[in-house]
Amino acid sequence: MLLDLPVLKKGSFYFIKDGESDIIMEDKTKRGLEIKETSIDEKINVKADKGMIHDMDGIGHWVPIRWYFPKDSYDLSKVEIHAEAMEKKYTKLRELTCPDDDD
Amino acid sequence: MIFLLFLGKTIKYENKSVQIMSYAHPEVLVDTEWVSQNPPNENRKLVEVDYDPVNGYQKGHINGASLIWWKRDINDPVTRDIISKKEFEALMSKNGITADTEVILYGDFNNWFAAFVFWVFKIYGHENLKIMNGGRKKWELESKDYTTDEPQIASTKYIAQPPDEGLRAYLFDVSRGIGKEDTVMVDVRSPAEFTGTITAPPEYPMEHAQRGGHIPDANNIPWATAVNDADGTFKAVEELRQNYEPKGVTPDKDVICYCRIGERSSHSWFVLKYLLGYPKVRNYDGSWTEWGNMIGNPVEK
Repeated sequence: MLLDLPVLKKGSFYFIKDGESDIIMEDKTKRGLEIKETSIDEKINVKADKGMIHDMDGIGHWVPIRWYFPKDSYDLSKVEIHAEAMEKKYTKLRELTCPDDDD
Repeated sequence: MIFLLFLGKTIKYENKSVQIMSYAHPEVLVDTEWVSQNPPNENRKLVEVDYDPVNGYQKGHINGASLIWWKRDINDPVTRDIISKKEFEALMSKNGITADTEVILYGDFNNWFAAFVFWVFKIYGHENLKIMNGGRKKWELESKDYTTDEPQIASTKYIAQPPDEGLRAYLFDVSRGIGKEDTVMVDVRSPAEFTGTITAPPEYPMEHAQRGGHIPDANNIPWATAVNDADGTFKAVEELRQNYEPKGVTPDKDVICYCRIGERSSHSWFVLKYLLGYPKVRNYDGSWTEWGNMIGNPVEK
């Protein structure tokens, strides 16, 4: 079970887990989303579980839920680069709607 | 020897009377085979109703079908409401429909949005209206053809009837119905939504409410219990009766259906009103995204 895999690193918006032959990065904002297909995510060029999210107009958009980075090509530090980019993207989005009121 | 005594009611088979239950209004349904044999013409229009036309109509639709996009065409663009009579008339005219046209609706998502549009058509008094049983799902299961060609449609001048508000329940109707013996609420959402475990599935992040749960005393009879899982067609009349009556949803009651945004509930509204023939059924299209967001509304979990 993916749920039971050891967590190598986690952020506010991601988990990186230790799979048998892959390092698995999960998008925490997509928890519970039904997996509709598993195919290559062309942005990152690794296999990904994908689901569909409908926007305000009802249009469905394919979104990756988790990515499988093969251990023979990726180590943790390389996956972290993608994880931190995702963390940065979601943090920026959150700031748009719920900015810190420090100043 | 077989005697057909009354269409769809009783047949005599080898001198025995056999009761055949039929839908109360079988004329509101056509099957996929009938549609494939009866293409649209001047007096018959085929309309696909989609929630997601990019992944539906635009990828392929039945030859000759026009599109009603639920979000864009049937809802007011600013206020949360269905379109006005005038806007409905313009939509019909654009789709080449007159008040006498036979209109066949079908769509994505198990005909949920086709049923919603059926409900809106009935609000504005369109008489000759049908749903293709099973929608896109059944058509695709049967590997029937699609086209990406859009039909050339000559516009018409459509005159609608004043809105029949008896088909629609508003917030105050629902509030007033709570605790009344003669009113029954049918919550057609999934059990997880009904119990408040979730307010919307992850696929619909725009449709959440501030509170999870259901309207007090509502019965949870998910929309899906009215259809055959294999092909999305409606269940037989006796199965439908067994689905609703044991839960107190009986024809002598004022029935109000609701879901999250009013589309799945119009599917159940269609079943109760047209397939079972209940005299008083209303769709509460405000549904949970209205009820679960209102300050002070009672919520049961």
